Amino acid sequence: MISLQQLVKKYGAFTAVDGISLDVSPGELHGFLGPNGAGKSTTFRMVAGLLKPTAGRVLVNGADMATDPETAKASLGFIPDRPFLYEKLTAGEFLRFHGGLYGMKERLIATRVRDMLALFELTDWEHQLVESFSHGMKQRLVMSAAFMHEPRAVLVDEPMVGLDPRGAQLIKAVFRRMTDRGVAILMSTHTLEVAEEMCDRVSIVLKGRIIVQGTVEEIRTMSGNSHEQLTPLFLRLTGGSGLQELDEAVA
Amino acid sequence: MRAFPFQLLPSLWAWRNRTRTRERGDLLRASLFGCVGLCVYTVLVLGSMWLTTQLTTYAELGDFLLRLGLSWLFLTCLSFLAFSGIVTSLSTFFLSEDLRLLFAAPLAGDRLFYARFARTIAQASWMVVALVAPVLVGIGLARSASPAYYLTAIAAVVPFAVIPVACGSAVTLLLVNIFPARRARDLLMLMGLVFAGSIVLLLRYIQPEQLLRVESLPDVMAFFSTLQSPVTPLLPSFWAGEMLFASLQGRSDNLHAAALWTTAMGVTILLRGAAGRWHFAGYSKSQEARKARFARHLVVERIVNAMPMSTVRRALLIKDVKVFLRDVTQWSQLLLLLALVLIYLYNFRVLDLDRIPSMGAMLKNAYAFLNLGLAGLVMATVTVRFVFPAVSSEGPAFWIVRTAPVTFRDFLWSKYWAGLVPVACLTTALTVAANELLGVDPFLKLLTTTAIVFMSVALVGLAIGLGACYPRFDADNANQVAGSFGGVAFMIASVFFVLVTIALLGWPSSVYLFHQSRHRAIPVLQQILMMLCFASALALSLGTWWYSMRTGIAALNRLDRA
Repeated sequence: MISLQQLVKKYGAFTAVDGISLDVSPGELHGFLGPNGAGKSTTFRMVAGLLKPTAGRVLVNGADMATDPETAKASLGFIPDRPFLYEKLTAGEFLRFHGGLYGMKERLIATRVRDMLALFELTDWEHQLVESFSHGMKQRLVMSAAFMHEPRAVLVDEPMVGLDPRGAQLIKAVFRRMTDRGVAILMSTHTLEVAEEMCDRVSIVLKGRIIVQGTVEEIRTMSGNSHEQLTPLFLRLTGGSGLQELDEAVA
Repeated sequence: MRAFPFQLLPSLWAWRNRTRTRERGDLLRASLFGCVGLCVYTVLVLGSMWLTTQLTTYAELGDFLLRLGLSWLFLTCLSFLAFSGIVTSLSTFFLSEDLRLLFAAPLAGDRLFYARFARTIAQASWMVVALVAPVLVGIGLARSASPAYYLTAIAAVVPFAVIPVACGSAVTLLLVNIFPARRARDLLMLMGLVFAGSIVLLLRYIQPEQLLRVESLPDVMAFFSTLQSPVTPLLPSFWAGEMLFASLQGRSDNLHAAALWTTAMGVTILLRGAAGRWHFAGYSKSQEARKARFARHLVVERIVNAMPMSTVRRALLIKDVKVFLRDVTQWSQLLLLLALVLIYLYNFRVLDLDRIPSMGAMLKNAYAFLNLGLAGLVMATVTVRFVFPAVSSEGPAFWIVRTAPVTFRDFLWSKYWAGLVPVACLTTALTVAANELLGVDPFLKLLTTTAIVFMSVALVGLAIGLGACYPRFDADNANQVAGSFGGVAFMIASVFFVLVTIALLGWPSSVYLFHQSRHRAIPVLQQILMMLCFASALALSLGTWWYSMRTGIAALNRLDRA
């Protein structure tokens, strides 16, 4: 459903993304993990059609993002880490506008706005300006918009940031329900417990390259310790915890 | 898929929602801006009516001048619209935040282009159109024009606005794709300088001062031909002027109307083609500019480090200067301001007051006070835009100052000095240069220079103080802060301050000059009253400065305890 083929992005001499390839099948939740500056957000912006790749292809539901962006984007829902929201619109207006951008019919928009606001527990806030929302509410509104046009694939950049435990639980439940319906989700997160709990497969990225890919169990097996938690495993694979350097600095 | 106007809906909805919510100071702001707008409109309508009526008395010569005037009007607008198109399209096509949402949506390239272009035209041209409209209405009223004239005006202004904005957008599209993508700030600087230069050149080209010397020209026709030289029949400004002139005479100029509309459609189609090819590539590059290379401004650090001030104030000053220098919006607006200042000084240079020898000296000295008043208003405008938002500019990062071992006194004084030095330098240079160009009396030179320095001290203090009393830490940009309740209150207070200062200085100066010109001694009582006036002006400046800063520090301390 989402296919990245030898994706490269260079900023002058600096290579932010260096030949990333991965496939996310329908119904799969794929975790995209890596330390800060590994190239996750750059990759996501290329997949979403916001950034032009230096080389490589992005296919969404079989449509090439470079040559047929409208078809590709119509199948995709995007939840960015720092979403743009029209602060002076109400939640309902924002969703109706979003539905219009995705070519939905008026009657369907009305139904879906109601459904999405109910699903993300924002019904009481439909007629309130977005500027009065808390961070978590804004995050839920963006998710409502991303799922509104019933995308075949969803791209989620850091979904749990700023959410309270109830909100986080809600998002996990929604993601599960969506994957059960065959939606492919590519999710970037720093919350390794979430990745461990939810993802069917994960890719760990370092310096613009995928260094490990597979199920959490497969990665454990590869590392030689099948009982190791994902967090120490991640730290070991991506260059250590920094604790030794910390000791040296403090000493 | 929805037609392109659908993408403009959020702006309309946002505007509607904004009008429904009331904020503190809305009524004051609306009344002030409404009154100013009404006054400007009345002056423009009456002024153009009066001028057109005067020209009518010269029969064919008057018609010729009116025709020329229309072409000038549109020619001036043409350059403004082209520059505005460049700057606005950089924002609407490449830097606007909502592009992230729109580019992620399955929108056809054409629809995205038309929506952005419509927005660019509206944003780039509304001010020019708003100023041209009353002038055209005034001309129409003076000539008792039929309703067809007003329809022709709309039919001329619409394509006329589209052409330069499309050209400006094309330039931006080209530059964003050609220049190294991480140089958006340099790009804007370049554009600002080009615009400032082009305005000065345009004024030089039109030579408006010749109007004052018309009697000195041996040949009237030669005079008109020099005026006509920049008006080329190949420019849309000429076509629009001809269309309107024909309409005033009860004719219709289909040739120039067709030229305007076909050119507007042609440039739009060409721009759409170019945007289809290069818009996304440019947008992609402009995102890379966010992490742009930045100047380290080591010179700034060296200069500030050499200044005798505490470490805290030094750190705050370095931060403020660097943030200012790295902010593209600040730079571009400063360049626009520079262009206006150049025009302002240029006008003084070409002002020929010696043509009325008996009045020359008096006029020059009167102009010296007019100049002081204008410099004061320029200062108020610069201050409300660049100094008043100083406290608010800390934004969400204000917690750093609040949690650091820094007193608000240190914080606010650092802001004060960072604002005072550039404002005082700019306005003092402006006053000194204008006085030199006018050749005013040495006494007035000294007086107005001293006055402007003290006015800078007071107005910067007032701006910093009121900025601390009415901070807007949630504002998106400095313009929003300047337009807030506190900003409007500052403008009212500063205009009042400038007027009172000029009144306090004007009377004793006129007494002094009167007695000097007649070589008489000033009576003692008048001398005492003069000294009282000067002392009052000084006290007003120092009092405004001291009280504002004290109030500002107290307001921040209250904020900290709240």
